[in-house]
This record gives sequence, C-alpha cells and structure tokens, in this order.
Amino acid sequence: MVEDTGKTLRADTYKPVNTPEEVRVEENASGLPAAVRTPRRRAIAAIEDRWRLDDEWWRSEPLSRLYYSVLLASGEKMVLFKDLIGGRWYRQGE
Amino acid sequence: MVTSTVGSQKLVLDYASGLEDLQPGMPIQQALARHDDARLVQADIPYYWTAFNEILDALEQRSPLVEGADLGCAYVGLDGMQLIYPDDDAVIKAVRGAVPDIYKPRMGIAGGKFPAYLAALHSPPGGYRVLTGDIRAFLEELPCDVLPVSAKSRDKLHDFGMHTLGKVSGLPAGPLQSQFGPEGRTIRELARGRDDTPLYPRMMEEIIEENATLPSVTVSLEAILAAVEALLIRIFSGSRLKGRGVRSLNLWTRSWSAESWERVIQFKEPAMDIKGIISRVRRALEDYPQPGPVEQVGLKINRLGYPGGRQNSLFSDIRAQDHLAEDIRQLELRQGGPQVYKLKEVEPWSRIPERRYALTPTSQ
Repeated sequence: MVEDTGKTLRADTYKPVNTPEEVRVEENASGLPAAVRTPRRRAIAAIEDRWRLDDEWWRSEPLSRLYYSVLLASGEKMVLFKDLIGGRWYRQGE
Repeated sequence: MVTSTVGSQKLVLDYASGLEDLQPGMPIQQALARHDDARLVQADIPYYWTAFNEILDALEQRSPLVEGADLGCAYVGLDGMQLIYPDDDAVIKAVRGAVPDIYKPRMGIAGGKFPAYLAALHSPPGGYRVLTGDIRAFLEELPCDVLPVSAKSRDKLHDFGMHTLGKVSGLPAGPLQSQFGPEGRTIRELARGRDDTPLYPRMMEEIIEENATLPSVTVSLEAILAAVEALLIRIFSGSRLKGRGVRSLNLWTRSWSAESWERVIQFKEPAMDIKGIISRVRRALEDYPQPGPVEQVGLKINRLGYPGGRQNSLFSDIRAQDHLAEDIRQLELRQGGPQVYKLKEVEPWSRIPERRYALTPTSQ
C-alpha cells in the first residue's frame, strides 16, 4: 500500500482491483456449490462461511450476492458468490 | 510615455507629468493622437523585476516575512518584531533603508494587507500613513474600484449604485453573498477594512545570472549564440554550480530599441555541459525570432539539479526511489501512457470487494 497523495482519481486512468471472475459452479440439490470449474473440475469439501450482500439498491443494476467461503478438496480456500439477479457464479478474492 | 507590448498591441504603461489625459492601458495610437511629440520608451519588464527583486532581497534583511505581491507592491510582516522595531518610525526607517530614494516609496502601516495597501496608496511619495483603530471613516469615500476582487464584481457593484466602500460596508452580509457568492463576504470584510489574508513569502531559489552587452548590435544568430556560449563558459568555469546541472534557463535579449525578448528553456535531465544547453538555445533562437537587432544578452538559471546516477548520497533508499520514479517516467514517455501502477484505497469501507481498492498510475 502506498501513502495517499490526496490527488483525485481520474476515471480514465485507474483500474479496478479484485473484480469478480465468472466461473462455472456445480450446485447440489439444495442449490449449494458442490464443485467449481477453473476450468478443471475441483470438488468443494466444505462450506466454511456464507453471507449475503445487498447493496446499491438505488441504482438501475442493484447488487444482490450470496457469498460462500469454501474449502476445496485440495485444501485450497476460495470465495465464490452467486449473483442472485443474474443467476451466475463468480469467484472473487477476499 | 512608457509603452509595453501585449500580444500584437502596444499600450501605454506609464507617462510623465503633463500627459495626465492619458491612461494606462490606452492603445499607443490613441495616445499619440493626443501627444504626437511625446517620446516613447519601451518598458523593460525583466529589468523592472530584477530591480524589484533586489528591493525584496533588501526587505528580507529587515523582516523574514516579505511578499512581493506585484511589480512595485510589497508587503512586510511585522508580527513579533516589536523588540526590533519598537514604533512605526523605526519600521519606516528600516523600509526606507531597503528601497533606493529614487523610487520615493509610499508606505502604509495597518492591521492587514488591504488596509496597509490603501494607507500606502494615500500617502505622499516617499512618505507613509498609519491606519489603526476604527478606519471606517477613512474608507468611507474611497471608490469600490480599489477592492482587490474580480472586475466583474466591481462592475456589478457600480451597477447597483454601490460606488464607495462606505456604501458597500453598510450592506448586510446576506444580500451581498446572494449577489456575489463567496466573494460577497470578502467584499464586505474588505470594505470594512478587515483583511485576514496571510502574507505569502517568496519561494527561496538559487539564481545564477549573467549578461553581456554585445560589441555591436546584431541580428546574426551565430553572434548571439557566441555571446550565450561565453556567458555559459563564465557560469560553468566558476564554482556556483557546485556539481549540479541546469534544469531551467531563462534566456533574454534586449534590442537596441530597448525591446525585450525572453524564453524559458526547461531541461528534462539536468544539463551538465555547455554543448547540451547551446543546442536548445539555438533552437529557441531559431523558433522565436528577435524583435530587432540585439544589443544585450542575458541568462538566468533558476533551477539546478544533480544528474541522475551521479549523485552521491547517504540516503541510498531515497536515491533508489528517485531512480525508480525517473525510470518509470521515461518508460511511460516512450510507451505513451501509464505502465506502472500503485494500489490506492478508494472506498476501503465498502462492503463490495471490488470497490475498495484501485490501481492508479504511479505518475499521478
């Protein structure tokens, strides 16, 4: 992290960080994630945490996400969310 | 009649006594129509600034807080100087000692910059005036044109029939602010003789100056360049550069008709030798022709810097950072856009992860 210079960001020069990356997720019968393809199929061993994020409801495209912090069978941790408006799955850093 | 060139127009800047029907800013043709026998003298603004800077230097020996507000107008801060200058006479004596008698400076003492300016404006040449206590009686009849606000606001005041400071100061703050916006408050405060604007002291910079009068007036580019080279040799052979290079150079000439020509030449890297400077000087002289045959040439170096990679410093981390920043700048100049980014907090409190941080170019 760098020290804040106090300068105004220009929309045309800054790049967003940690944008969601669309992934294919296999859901089980209850709608919970069972495996994720990145593109290799990786089974989900456990769901460690779950939370919902509803925001920017005043905009034309509000956000409604259901986040899962999952533990893969390989031991790796991953954060996934389901876009409750579009129905797609995304992967995102914490 | 002293004239100055603004764009392609020649305007009256000042005039001798006996020509009172002229006005500063009047086109020269109009002035000559009234006084066709008047002698014209071209204003030498760079020289005026040199002379004024010398006065400011001398004033700084009397007070640490000196502001050169405009050519010929200086403010001297006296806060905390009661032990050095116990009374007004001592202050005036000190200021007089800094300004050559020939200028007959008008001086004013007051509690703020604006009232001090007005006091000086209404003092006799070489004299002074002190404004203390309730100064509203003094301000009452002064025209609102003396207010240091935008010309648009001054015109508007006249349109409303507010021709004097007395009339303006009598107005409540609300209507003034609704008509003039934030400037309305300033107008009211100034009209009441209150000015809490701080003094802005000069930036201290090391200046190296050299100039030479040519053996004969010339239009030859090579002759002017030879003179510039001689001046540079004088600068580089002395000890004033102390191992530093030239980052900014002010090149000026004066023609035999006293017309001035001036160009500022900036160097991306500190120029460490005469050859590098001369090539840039040549280009400036070729691109911007002289107004007439040149009589005098001068240089003013006002920014110096150490060359990249040669600086010896104990602070190697700082040096490394400087080098990195310089390398990034060079890379981006070559590639034509930002290449290296840094992480910056945008909305770190946001619940939406992608809103929290962003990458911004290191050069911003």
